[in-house]
Amino acid sequence: MKLFATRDASPAGRGGRTGHTGSADDVGTADAPIAPDPAGRRAAGRAVRRRLAGHLVRGLAMIWVVTTISFVIIRNIPGNPVLGQYEALIERGMSPDQAQRATAALYGFLPTGSLWQQYVDYLKALLHLDLGQSLSTPGTEVTTLIAHAASWTILPVLGGTLLSFLLGVTLGVYAGIKRSGKLGDALAISGSLLHGVPQYVLGLLVLAIFTTLWPILPAGGPVDVEFTPGLNGPYLASLIQHATLPVLTYALASYGGWVLAMKSSVATVLGDDFILAAELRGLSRWVLFRYIARNAILPLFTILALSLGMLFGGAIFIERIFNYPGLGLLLVNSIGARDYALMGGTFLVTTVAVIVANIAADLLYAVIDPRVRTGGAA
Amino acid sequence: MTMNAPRLLRRSRPAGTVSGGAVPGGAPRPDAGPPPGVRVRDLTVVYKTPLGELPALGGVSLTIDPGTITGIVGESGSGKSTLALSLLNAVQPPGRIAGGSVEVDGLGDVLKLKGDELRGARGRHLGYVFQAAQNSLNPLKTVGKQLLDLGRSHGVDDLAALVRDARALLERMGLDGARVLDSHQHELSGGMRQRVGIMLALVLNARLAILDEPTTALDMITQATILRIVREVHKERGLTTLMVTHDIGVAAEVTDRLAVMYGGRVVEHGPTMDVLGAPSHPYTQGLIRAIPRLSGDPAEARALPGRPPTLGTLPTQGCVFRERCPLRMEVCETSAPLPVRREERTVACHAREPYASAAGRGEHA
Repeated sequence: MKLFATRDASPAGRGGRTGHTGSADDVGTADAPIAPDPAGRRAAGRAVRRRLAGHLVRGLAMIWVVTTISFVIIRNIPGNPVLGQYEALIERGMSPDQAQRATAALYGFLPTGSLWQQYVDYLKALLHLDLGQSLSTPGTEVTTLIAHAASWTILPVLGGTLLSFLLGVTLGVYAGIKRSGKLGDALAISGSLLHGVPQYVLGLLVLAIFTTLWPILPAGGPVDVEFTPGLNGPYLASLIQHATLPVLTYALASYGGWVLAMKSSVATVLGDDFILAAELRGLSRWVLFRYIARNAILPLFTILALSLGMLFGGAIFIERIFNYPGLGLLLVNSIGARDYALMGGTFLVTTVAVIVANIAADLLYAVIDPRVRTGGAA
Repeated sequence: MTMNAPRLLRRSRPAGTVSGGAVPGGAPRPDAGPPPGVRVRDLTVVYKTPLGELPALGGVSLTIDPGTITGIVGESGSGKSTLALSLLNAVQPPGRIAGGSVEVDGLGDVLKLKGDELRGARGRHLGYVFQAAQNSLNPLKTVGKQLLDLGRSHGVDDLAALVRDARALLERMGLDGARVLDSHQHELSGGMRQRVGIMLALVLNARLAILDEPTTALDMITQATILRIVREVHKERGLTTLMVTHDIGVAAEVTDRLAVMYGGRVVEHGPTMDVLGAPSHPYTQGLIRAIPRLSGDPAEARALPGRPPTLGTLPTQGCVFRERCPLRMEVCETSAPLPVRREERTVACHAREPYASAAGRGEHA
């Protein structure tokens, strides 16, 4: 990091250094190591650790609040599925004791007993990462269902997000720099248009174009069933074919936001004094471009990290249109089936993901913005 | 006459020529030649507004002698910063240079430079220093990395020598060079930033330094330090320096010559002591009367009546100062006074014209 403090002290001096010895005394003082630097770095390390610890405490508190709220809501909404099950079992002729045990075995907690006791049991189960069992598919752990759906969500949505981010940011820089030109206008208009069209309309359009008008891609499902899962060519090819349309739709749907955000961020940076200063120092166009892009992209990293967190909520409309078994579809189905355990689990996963993404964004910011790193603001 | 143009305009130079043989922070290489002179002729800059294109500079002519520190004073909106930016052919939209020429020794007419030639001249021949309060550094990069960006942009081969020169220059200005190069902008104080700005403007051996309000927003002690540094570095490196300021005290302390601007025109130009000691143009006289004195009655300070003109309120014909002028005459309504030179002093005022009868018209050629 400390690039210049040691440059002249290095024995592998470059050419042009000889003949400078006469004035060594003048520069000599600067060759000495700078005392405060190691201490400063330690302090910065401490600051990062302190920040991380603070985040973890706040994150855990938020997770606790969300679980508590979802616990209370699930226990209080009309048609409590647990009590419903319990009562149904009694109606079928079970004794209350039997019914209670059966229900408890199914859901992992006692539906009767004090609310407080239930709450404690629920939290205990949570600490063991036990989210209970699904109601709509009895006998299946909620965690299993979520893990399965997540594997179908993460890659396509991650791919779509990153694709749209890279594309949107790159074109957004261009739109910002050339904002009085035709191409800049065109890019901005494309951004506004795609940003304005709802995801499901885009999804249906893409579906119509690529499966009906020009049928080159499969219409739905995650993969063709005739291939054996595993690392074999046909299976992977089918996987990619099926993922293409959801990824494309997702990328198109979020592209507009990136273009517009980047364009306005670039416009702000272009008005900054240091850009004019760099121009007046005769810095090359490429260096100027990097100065602009790197400063403009900073605020977008926070949005990116947050949208990566939202990724665990899945893309409900897109997954439904392409019948893609991701987290969004899982959530919709669990709501349809009144599968409260599954709903609660899905909410929890989304919450945790967003909180973790938030922390990651903040730490990432410290890496890319030196002003945050040292904790000082100019 | 000074540096020969073809050699200077060559983009890739052999290693070491940029900084070879330099005394740390001191004079540039011995073969550098005398400092450049600058001749601005009929410079007109217009700004695009809803009312059409309005002139911010209305045909400014100004000769800056080699090796001098010339101050440009005037109220906000008098066009002094526009003039400073014009010297780098860097008037920002919606402004546009509509005519005239800016001849710099060794560069030719800066207004005719384009693309890479212009980019190369900025930084290498023309050093621009911003206001201290303005953030003239990339907040995400250390000063040293920005120095390397500067070196690479100008095709400097020996970057190690460039870093060494930068450190020497910073140390000449009383800073810990290595430490400053490893710092980000937010880790530096206003006075330190300003010295970094001066270093970046001069490290490639630019010989024409243009400083835009270099001490505005600095505290008095730091101001004095920066002004001392400007004076010393100017002398040691053999520069021609142009300093824009609204602070007549600063101008009096540092400059050899002073140009007073009003409404996009230079109304008076001459040796600083003469201009301040015996102002000739009624605007200069008013400006100096408006300064409160440390000794004597502060109530003696008289503000100039009226308001400085804006682009929209600037008269399109006649003298731009007549609305506020105590010496207003009939001729001022219809014809703009031309600059008239007598001995060292150039004044543009109808009321002062007899004063110049022996010298004839026009700026010193």
